[in-house]
Amino acid sequence: MPSLGRMPPQDNPDDRIALLQGTLDLLILKTLVLGSCHGQGIARSIQRQSEEVFFVDHGSLYLALQRLEDKKWISAKWGVSENNRKARFYSLTAKGRQQLVEKTSEWQRLTRAMGLILDGRPSSEEV
Amino acid sequence: MFRRRRSADDFAEEIKSHFELEADELQSEGLSEEEARRRARVEFGNAQTAQERFYLRSRIVWFDNLLHDIKFASRQLIRNPSFASIAIVTLALGIAANSTIFSWINSTLLDPIPGIAHTSDMITIMRGERSEHPTPPFSYLDFADLRDSTRSFTGLLAYHDDYMAITESGKPERIYGTLASSNYFEVLGVRPILGRSLESTAPNERRGTAEAVLGYGLWQNHFGADPSIIGKIVHINLRPYTIVGVAPEGFQGCKSGLRSDLWIPLGMDSQVWGSDRIKYRDVLWLNVLGKLKPGVDHHQAENELNILMQRLAERFPDAHKGPNTISSDPLWRSPFGANVYLYGTLPILFALALVLLLLACANLANLLLVGSVARRREFAIRLSIGATRWRLVLQLMVENALIALAGGGLALLLTKWTAHGLSAFLPPTTLPLTLNGRVDRTVLVATIMISLLTAAVSGVLPALRASRLALAPVSALKDEALNTSGGIHKSRLAGGLVVGQIALSMLLLVCAGLLVSSQQKAQDSYPGFDPSHMFLASFDLKPMGYSRAQGIEFDKQMLVRLKSLPGVQSVTLGDFSPLSYTIHTDFIQPEGYVPGKNESMEVDRGVAGPEYLRTVRTALLAGRDFTDRDNASALPVSIVNKALADRYWQGQDPIGKRLQVAGHWTTVVGVAANGKYRRLVYDTAPLVLIPMLQSYRTDQIVYVRVAGDPMAYASAVERTVHGLNSDLPLFNETTLAANMRMGNAFERIAAAFAGSFGLLALILAAIGVYGVVAYATKQRTHEIGIRMALGAGKRDIFRQVLGRGLHFAGLGLVLGLIISFALTRYLRGMLYGVGTADWLTFVMVAILLCVATLIACFVPARRAASIDPMQALRTE
Repeated sequence: MPSLGRMPPQDNPDDRIALLQGTLDLLILKTLVLGSCHGQGIARSIQRQSEEVFFVDHGSLYLALQRLEDKKWISAKWGVSENNRKARFYSLTAKGRQQLVEKTSEWQRLTRAMGLILDGRPSSEEV
Repeated sequence: MFRRRRSADDFAEEIKSHFELEADELQSEGLSEEEARRRARVEFGNAQTAQERFYLRSRIVWFDNLLHDIKFASRQLIRNPSFASIAIVTLALGIAANSTIFSWINSTLLDPIPGIAHTSDMITIMRGERSEHPTPPFSYLDFADLRDSTRSFTGLLAYHDDYMAITESGKPERIYGTLASSNYFEVLGVRPILGRSLESTAPNERRGTAEAVLGYGLWQNHFGADPSIIGKIVHINLRPYTIVGVAPEGFQGCKSGLRSDLWIPLGMDSQVWGSDRIKYRDVLWLNVLGKLKPGVDHHQAENELNILMQRLAERFPDAHKGPNTISSDPLWRSPFGANVYLYGTLPILFALALVLLLLACANLANLLLVGSVARRREFAIRLSIGATRWRLVLQLMVENALIALAGGGLALLLTKWTAHGLSAFLPPTTLPLTLNGRVDRTVLVATIMISLLTAAVSGVLPALRASRLALAPVSALKDEALNTSGGIHKSRLAGGLVVGQIALSMLLLVCAGLLVSSQQKAQDSYPGFDPSHMFLASFDLKPMGYSRAQGIEFDKQMLVRLKSLPGVQSVTLGDFSPLSYTIHTDFIQPEGYVPGKNESMEVDRGVAGPEYLRTVRTALLAGRDFTDRDNASALPVSIVNKALADRYWQGQDPIGKRLQVAGHWTTVVGVAANGKYRRLVYDTAPLVLIPMLQSYRTDQIVYVRVAGDPMAYASAVERTVHGLNSDLPLFNETTLAANMRMGNAFERIAAAFAGSFGLLALILAAIGVYGVVAYATKQRTHEIGIRMALGAGKRDIFRQVLGRGLHFAGLGLVLGLIISFALTRYLRGMLYGVGTADWLTFVMVAILLCVATLIACFVPARRAASIDPMQALRTE
């Protein structure tokens, strides 16, 4: 199951949510909008921005990066990080930017629909 | 742009860099260096799995597996050379039988007119009843009218072919030439490689233009491939023609299996053969081929032609008294050319070859079953360390494919040689035959397909069985389990295979038996003349410039001189020789006989010299033979055979009756016994003979009946003829016995192949029975030991093993009998003098198979009987 998140090996597992299929791609694209970043940075960023709710399985993350790269939504090249470590930096391509727009609106339609069913009112308006 | 795939190492590198970055960050959050490193790894999860998944997704995994399987399979085969070689040779024989027949089908039925672009929209047009030896069905005027008014065709072409001679240099060289309508090459879509076609002769089609297009072979051999040949002159039957083009290599005219050497316009008929038939509407001499317009099928075209033909018949009733219905055929079964004799035979031979291949498959399947039981432990180990069943089946299928492809390769080598076997059955003949098979890309592809199909058919069952046997790995890994349950499972399937094999070989043997005995019967049948001690030679006076009177004088003198040679008993002439596809037909009108509406009055017609019947020893039933007094100044006479007399003058005396042959009235002076003139397997047909000295032909065959070996007279005959004209070439010097082999060539092909398929089938079945019985016996060594220990005698054991074999044979024979009865009726068209349910053949085949089974069981039975009970009990 390639992009399903994995339960963390420790730290009160119940608080964290495994990522849904396909959401990881969206999160990666969103993260890269701010500028190019390496895998570890992306993982950290997703975890931090979701207020530590999401746990990103790193293996899945790297495979997802590879998949997006194959689809030419992102491009990658080796570079050097701020603290002088060798790292592979990813950045969004034009195609990826376009995908981000599409996926975002898709996601919003989905959550709105889910909200309607679960609460009787659209939940996305709050977001 | 091509981007290289990212390597797994690069990916690992990235993960390593992740650990470092994460550890740095954790350290900056206050963890110790060691703890940070540990946490980074733990947080990551399973890096190994990620790398593995990366590896799997970035590679074509199945291809890796396949390569591995092929390597493994090759090793497996090399390790077991006896198994591999038996399997490969068995399949090679089965595949070679198929690829050989296919190579023939490919270059005859599938390629009826070599060298033209598309054959699918070409049809050949026939008038009247379908026949295996039709005469050209159209007159020029009718053809021209049809061509101008049809809307179904993009073009209709007409042609007529016959022997001609190139005469510019010393001795004339005999060729087979075609008179072609001006649109001939355009309709066929054949473009000359040099010069142009005959299209520009169109305005003058009837009168003719002295132009010629050379065949590629003639250009190569006779003209030394002269690149500046265009515009030069070639003399054909003593008249000059301008060479305007050279046909492409491979194109040889419109008749399947017959090669035309050159093409000249239709209108040159008068110059080449001195005939004026192009002027008449009732002289039929043209074959017609049409290229359908896109979207028109051949039924529509046929309907249109029938309507047009009907109109012509109404407008010119006197010229359309014969049959006027038109039928069309696709080229592969065109009645003109050699395919007409092949399209019934080759598909049946192909079917027999497929049965043989099926037998070979069954044998291989049995070998694989035996092998898979022996390899059960290997499969179990592979399963228990994580291979899926599917992978196991795939692995076995790869092994089979390897065997089959090796067999296919061997078969192709054999086919390279056997493809030319078709022509080996055809005796030397004056016919410009080009029948042969060849190995081209289609045959190559077909052979590979057949091989892979073979692998699938023979391998699927054993592979599934093997993988299932190994499904309980734990029990399979235990030694004792190997010999019991596996053996029982296997022998039931194997027993079924053996029964199937015996049934199939029964079918093949029955077919072989029927065809061989039919051929034997035809061979032994009395053809109506005595073929022994007869020397034949052909010559053609036309290109030598003889007038009719000179030619007749030459014939007379030659007959006198040859007759005086020592050892020569009698001499005659003919424009044909029996059973060599040289007899012609003509339309007749017997006195007092009223033909039915559209009844075809076309019968076999031979032109024969004085003493013809005496020389060939055909019995004279009434009247007299031709003499040298039956000449131009005497009363026109004819001799008919009994079949003709019976058909048209039932119960009357034919002698003295008047008979119109090709428009000329003759008086019947003799009745000859029936004989065979086309093929031995045909029923006797009506025949009329007319005298050479009255109905002179320049193209003749001299018949010399001698004492002793006919070929010993060849030089004496040659010397005598050259005494009269030193330049006259004698060709096709042969004996009547050898020459008439053409008349049953197709039966001999069928019998020879069916016979050898039958023999192979017998051997394969015997090997199959042997394999299964021997294996089962070996498996039951323990049991036999116990039985012997309990008092069973050697004879009981022996009898029991034989009984097991006979049990297979019995079941197989019953099944085979049913299949054979159901299928042999498809052979009916190929049989002569034998019924399709010939009980003698069935009984003989059944006995043969029983004997073969017994022999195959004999060795394992003896081995079983000589088992030492103590030893047998200890082996386990």
